[in-house]
Amino acid sequence: MLTGGPAGAFGGAARILIVDDDPNLLVLLADQLRADGFETATARDGEEALRRLRSGWPDLLIIDMMMPRMDGLTLAREIKGRADLPIIVLSAIDAGDSKADLLEEVAEDYVTKPYHYPELRARINRVLRRLGDKVPRKSLRLGPTLTLDLHRREATVGGQAVQLSPTESRLLYALAANLGQTVTTETLLARGWAETEDADPSYVWVTMRRLRQKVEADPNHPVHLLTARGIGYRLVAEQRPADADAPAADG
Amino acid sequence: MSDRTIGPNADIGEDTLGESVDAPPEPERVGPPISFRTRLTLGLMAAAILPLAGFGILLLVASTVMGPAADPTTGRLLLFAIIVAGLVGILIAYLLAADLTGPLRAIAAAVDRVSAGDLSARIYVSGDDEVARLAESHNRLSGDLERRNRELGRILAAIETASPRDGVDWLVGRAAAHAKAAFEMIDAKIQLVNPRTVPVEEDVPGDPRPVRAELRIAGEELGVLTGHLPATRAWERGDQDLLELFASEIAVAIRNAQLFAVVEAQNAQLLELDAVKDDFLRGVSHNLQTPLTSIRAYAEQLARDRPDHRLGIIGEQADRLSRIVRQLLTVTRLESGALKPRGEVLSVAPRVKRAWEALGAGAVSFTLDDQSNGWLAIADADQLDQVLWALLDNALQYGGGTPVACEVGLASDGRVRLTIRDGGPGVNDADRGRLFGRFVRGTHQEAGEGSGLGLYVSRELCRAMNGDLVLDPPMPGRGAGFSVYLPGEPPDES
Repeated sequence: MLTGGPAGAFGGAARILIVDDDPNLLVLLADQLRADGFETATARDGEEALRRLRSGWPDLLIIDMMMPRMDGLTLAREIKGRADLPIIVLSAIDAGDSKADLLEEVAEDYVTKPYHYPELRARINRVLRRLGDKVPRKSLRLGPTLTLDLHRREATVGGQAVQLSPTESRLLYALAANLGQTVTTETLLARGWAETEDADPSYVWVTMRRLRQKVEADPNHPVHLLTARGIGYRLVAEQRPADADAPAADG
Repeated sequence: MSDRTIGPNADIGEDTLGESVDAPPEPERVGPPISFRTRLTLGLMAAAILPLAGFGILLLVASTVMGPAADPTTGRLLLFAIIVAGLVGILIAYLLAADLTGPLRAIAAAVDRVSAGDLSARIYVSGDDEVARLAESHNRLSGDLERRNRELGRILAAIETASPRDGVDWLVGRAAAHAKAAFEMIDAKIQLVNPRTVPVEEDVPGDPRPVRAELRIAGEELGVLTGHLPATRAWERGDQDLLELFASEIAVAIRNAQLFAVVEAQNAQLLELDAVKDDFLRGVSHNLQTPLTSIRAYAEQLARDRPDHRLGIIGEQADRLSRIVRQLLTVTRLESGALKPRGEVLSVAPRVKRAWEALGAGAVSFTLDDQSNGWLAIADADQLDQVLWALLDNALQYGGGTPVACEVGLASDGRVRLTIRDGGPGVNDADRGRLFGRFVRGTHQEAGEGSGLGLYVSRELCRAMNGDLVLDPPMPGRGAGFSVYLPGEPPDES
């Protein structure tokens, strides 16, 4: 089905595979998404989803967390083991739950049940947009004291692991994809707060300030997260001269 | 007994003695082969009889040479002979004293070293006399002391390394090995059984000597330590005391390990139960939220095709039900510590507005005054929404349709403050103190209204986000006011 809806990876409508054990929800969500121009397929459980994957990869999967036989977490891990397909988990578990972190390890995003359709759609669109500048699932070493593990939402600062919030890691994704180049505040705002209508540039400023407190040795004299005043921010790897004091550390 | 003698020991005088004091490791070899009593007898005889005999011989010679006729020189000669005999007597007595006190001084020096802590000092005395027996007693004493010291050292080391984390079985095995080494046993074992069920072995001369000590703690018998010693090994009261001390210390260590194991098992069980409970709650949540999701979404879809305010009510009520389910889950997670709010940047006023709209109370007047100058709060959006819903819902219920007024501002300490106030009767004094408890409802509230958890959950959530929720002081003519405080950040470019 080719409509004017959101574009998938190879042009045409984005294809979404919905996996949920509740048939009501499957029909409903498929209807809602089709109405917005997505191409949809559905699966009642993990086995069926994996069977469907054999005949072709969708652009995105929406997976229910709690399903009989194979739960959403297992399925998501299984899928990520085969291909790095973007996954949105749809779950009754909210952000405060200890399992939510596990979800984010394997999923690009998650939405709590009962979902608000406009919010779900905004998140789908953001995940699809973000595919272009995807940061590989490996460590990014920016200097002797800073390493980013964005797929785990973690930074290692002077040997200490620091947890990043989802928004913080989204901003760092965007900056790391353009390492050394300035990313405008507007772009960062769109990346970090796609579904928040009342967000404004101050969200970016304050988050950057908080990020510096987390990842910079001296937040008042940043060496990694630099401001291009009035334009935006850039992420830089620490320059060689700065290493002069510590020749043993290889940059 | 003469087999204790080592090496030549014939003539050892004071000189050798002096040297041996300076070189402790060298064994003392004192005393001639003749027994102490013989030497004392001979010496006394020599000191008393020899000068007399000499004097007698001299007298005899003098009387023979000079004849019975007295000569004036005879008296002087006799005087001279008496003096010589006296000197000889003194000399002999001196030599005798030197010979007799030599071994005694050696023993004294060795005892001094023992009392100074050097238990390896030994005295080697030949013969079977009193001095030799004294030396032997000393050697045995210091040998026993040295052995017990060694045992004690090993026992202390064994007790020091015992940790309750080691587990009972390992501790028992190691304690037996330590006992075997410390007391130089042939074998040793610890049985954690009633000591009366382990028969006491008979000590048969020539066979390995059985030893035994009970493991007791505060009168309770934990088990028994049994083992065997080489038949030739001395085992005295001091050794038995040490073994019993060891057994009682090991009993304490084993009891600690047993208690630790129980606590560990209980902990593991609690963690398991906690995980089961968590899974159960997730399941309950899932099973309640899934149908609500369908109800809500279908109502939304229907309303789009054919607008009807009743569909709006269905959606709102589904939302309300889903929030109550979440609230119950939040309580249990807060209590188990599983809830970890995130710190994200957000603007409070728009969230308050959206939360109010989601409540669908269009008939009630609502004002929102934003005095925050763009300051942003650091909070978890999902959890803050729960707080906002609870507070606004509260204002609707208790305000009885009176206007709800919200104000966002800055507290003096740089925190963002949100105050939500209704125009109702306010909180009566009886309720003020207990308002934030669990399952608490206002005294004039009918049962069945609300869960009684809203304020409790909200306050706990605010605190988990490094903020707070307080009931404002009563203001005459105005209803109840609640203020949320959250960490704030100025909206400056950084």
